[in-house]
Amino acid sequence: MSDLQQRALSAVEERFGDDFLGADSHAGQHWAEVKRDRIVEVLTMLRDELGFDMLTDLTAVDYLDKGERERFAIVYVLYNMAEKGNFRVKAWVPEDDPEIDTASNVWLAAPWAEREVFDMYGITFAGHSDLRRILLPDWYEGHPLRKDYPLEGHGERHDFERYRS
Amino acid sequence: MGVETWAPEGLLTTRTADLINWGRANSLWPMPFGVACCAIEMMATLASNYDMSRFGAEAIRFSPRQSDLMIVSGRISLKMMPVLFKIWEQMPEPKWCISMGACASCGGIFDTYAMTQGVDRFIPVDVYIPGCPPRPETLLDALMKIQEIVAAERLDAHDAQA
Repeated sequence: MSDLQQRALSAVEERFGDDFLGADSHAGQHWAEVKRDRIVEVLTMLRDELGFDMLTDLTAVDYLDKGERERFAIVYVLYNMAEKGNFRVKAWVPEDDPEIDTASNVWLAAPWAEREVFDMYGITFAGHSDLRRILLPDWYEGHPLRKDYPLEGHGERHDFERYRS
Repeated sequence: MGVETWAPEGLLTTRTADLINWGRANSLWPMPFGVACCAIEMMATLASNYDMSRFGAEAIRFSPRQSDLMIVSGRISLKMMPVLFKIWEQMPEPKWCISMGACASCGGIFDTYAMTQGVDRFIPVDVYIPGCPPRPETLLDALMKIQEIVAAERLDAHDAQA
């Protein structure tokens, strides 16, 4: 683990002990798992004190039936441009209350990424200024990247008028 | 042979339909509906190396009201389908449609919730081009097939159906 990632992990663990749920890594990428309650404070701390000034990506994972802690996890991929290092934060979101605070006030890249997560997974972001679909049309129903959604959809792709000359 | 035997030299007779269809076939103005990767191959066909203007398809008008051949090149998603429909409706008759590539013809590899499985479910297609993407020669071949279709049409083929 690089020095930057070590410092980030230690900071999250020490300052947010109750919310800190663990850490893990894969292929050299390290992350901290936290509860969703104080996520904005965690992210603000990482941005202001550890220099993670860039939110590279904000996405979600659906762990349906995989026996994980909760069904959904929001993944924040952060980048420190000065020290050129990545760090990830994973916040668990339960299925019966799929909501988490928005990171829009921390990074400007967050709003559209959160709209994409809402569009695909149905997770709402409290405090988001404009939470609506971004990829799919506004009339679409359902959240396709959930694991219980069929790949072919529910027939919307066939449901357009036919040209009559 | 009738009139041509006694008429002054240089006079030709023909059927009205043949004359009109000859004019239409050799001046098909494409409406390039390029939305994805097939559009690159369509651009290649329209450029100088493969040169679609040799076939009369010179005036590439991105205005549907000034074109008569729509080339749907690329996958059509849920959001794009109403747009395609509107553009098709705005084209005046007579009009023809080439469905270029696998995605426009049948959905291609995108058998998913957000992609229409072929534009021929919603607009009438005259020639389908397989390929992902098809080579420019294939698009030229499709254009020639459209020309054959146009040349053999009845004059009332595009009248509004009662």
